[in-house]
Amino acid sequence: MRQEATSFSTAAGPRKPPGRIGWLLLSPLVAWVVAFVVAPAVIMLVYSFARRGTLGGVVFGFTLENYAAVADPVYLRIVIRSILYATLTTILCLAMGYPVAYLIGRSSQRWQSLLLMAVMVPFWTSFLIRTYAWVTILKNQGLLNSLLMQFQLISQPLELLYTPGAVVVGLVYTFLPFMILPIYSSVEKLDGALIEAALDLGAGPLRAFSRVIVPLTSPGIAAGVLLVFVPSLGIYAVNDILGGGRVDMIGNIIENQFKGNARNWPFGAALGTTLLVTFALVYWLVNRRQRMVMG
Amino acid sequence: MIRFAGRALVALGLLVGVVSAASAGAEELNLFAWSEYVPQSVLDDFTEETGIQVNYESYASNEEMLAKLMSGAASYDLIQPSEYVVEALVKENQLLPLDHAKLPNLKNIGKEYLGQPHDPKLTYSVPYMQGTVGIVIDTQKVKDPVLGFGDLFQDKYKGRIVVLDDALEIVTWALATQGLGPQDVTKENLEKVRPVLAQWLPLVKVYDSDSPKTALLNGDVDLGVVWSGEAAILIDEAPGRFVYVLPKEGAHMFIDNMAIPKSAQNVDSAHRFLDYLMRPEVAKKISDEFPYTNPNVEARKLLTPEQRANPASYPPGDPKLSTFRDIGALGADVDKLFTDLKAKSGS
Repeated sequence: MRQEATSFSTAAGPRKPPGRIGWLLLSPLVAWVVAFVVAPAVIMLVYSFARRGTLGGVVFGFTLENYAAVADPVYLRIVIRSILYATLTTILCLAMGYPVAYLIGRSSQRWQSLLLMAVMVPFWTSFLIRTYAWVTILKNQGLLNSLLMQFQLISQPLELLYTPGAVVVGLVYTFLPFMILPIYSSVEKLDGALIEAALDLGAGPLRAFSRVIVPLTSPGIAAGVLLVFVPSLGIYAVNDILGGGRVDMIGNIIENQFKGNARNWPFGAALGTTLLVTFALVYWLVNRRQRMVMG
Repeated sequence: MIRFAGRALVALGLLVGVVSAASAGAEELNLFAWSEYVPQSVLDDFTEETGIQVNYESYASNEEMLAKLMSGAASYDLIQPSEYVVEALVKENQLLPLDHAKLPNLKNIGKEYLGQPHDPKLTYSVPYMQGTVGIVIDTQKVKDPVLGFGDLFQDKYKGRIVVLDDALEIVTWALATQGLGPQDVTKENLEKVRPVLAQWLPLVKVYDSDSPKTALLNGDVDLGVVWSGEAAILIDEAPGRFVYVLPKEGAHMFIDNMAIPKSAQNVDSAHRFLDYLMRPEVAKKISDEFPYTNPNVEARKLLTPEQRANPASYPPGDPKLSTFRDIGALGADVDKLFTDLKAKSGS
């Protein structure tokens, strides 16, 4: 059954390495990546093996104690919790984002640009301001509680703000567009004739969806999953603002090592490196799965 | 992304600094201070009087300031460390001794600010503002008296409390209930307060160091342990609704100071600015905007009776107050204890 998808995959074709002119054109990008991605990552890696400096900073040396501390149950619990929150956010974004992306991708040109605009509009305002707007909605005497009381659905204000639920709402809200946009671009390229063919050949709507539509839009799904999972693992502003600072995530712990009482840069660097390795692992897994789906 | 934007801003700032210095040949002063702590009008008036251009870069925690200062990426002429950081910086020989001959207004600073453990003779620093950390109660919701941490952290207030999101603060409060002070942070004492904190943290609804007054004003919580300046604003905004209490077990007092780092380039301008800040009428202006305790006794005389009567700014009586001390590497242990108990108490 996988063959249906394979013949339309262009990504599977052999690629040539860039020639001399290609490298020349690539050089600004390479320089940028080296300066702002590779170099900071190397600095972080070196720091993660150093010792804590008295006034912050590091004393260079080689120790594994920072990585031992990452594995300490106190921090390990928070690493695991962050992964759970990020996973839940990704699943919810996929469940809510896929139908929306599909609808946008399948509508007429005019509607497409309008609906896409609607998805992008929130980006015109700062992310922090939008998160504070949720405080206004969810607080004790906020919009949502007033509305529910107005319609006499509840008699007492619900406890909404400063709960784990509020954190998940904030995370899903923040990252939903990052799921919708890549899936949309896959859906838009989807050839309607293939779906009709599947239906003509006796596949039910469900079968056509799972065997034809999902595999063909899987590059978009994979990109969306990465774009949501990776940043939601490291974010810390949402849980500070909407969670009342009660649900510490790995991002909060890293922040405390640099800007809090701990003043423990090497440990912060070790946590950062751990996060980077986790990202790389997730990327590799998603990619591998992607190659398997594409045959 | 944020870091990159920050870098771009710094670069822009440097560029502007270079251009303005080149065009006017003017003197400059690079001030690195807490955000929302130095009124812009004070800086503008200083520039007008002296022609010295003040570049105000801000930070949100002492540790953030230390991180930037020690990285040496930019040079600062004046910094604004709290007392325990002054102590650490002096220990590491990172501050320039002040030239008291250039600071005639130093006489306006209250005598009680001499003899403090971090800098007993004000050799390296002068106090800028002082404050306390105490209990705020919304009297519309809480009818029972709350006089200390023991009264506050009770099961009946579960889910109604806001506290500062600051490990060292909370550990200090727990130490106070054991008859210990901020100077008693040791590994053994941390274990001693562990059960106290394990009982307290599940009662907390919000941790917020930046603006703990918000949750109180919104009615999401009814009690809190907050900075005195935040409490003073609450008392001012909703007269009669909030009261501020210094916990009977003992309270933490912080003294934020001005100091000149070793790497300063404009030492003379820094002294002029310091002396300017200690003029009574200038120090009063700072109090108008940031109602902490003004260490300048001559400036206090210029305040209105209402300002002086605000119990959060000028606590009545003779409360038991102590300052933080530099705890060195124990900071990491304090942070770990707090992280652990917070995660266990959390949802």
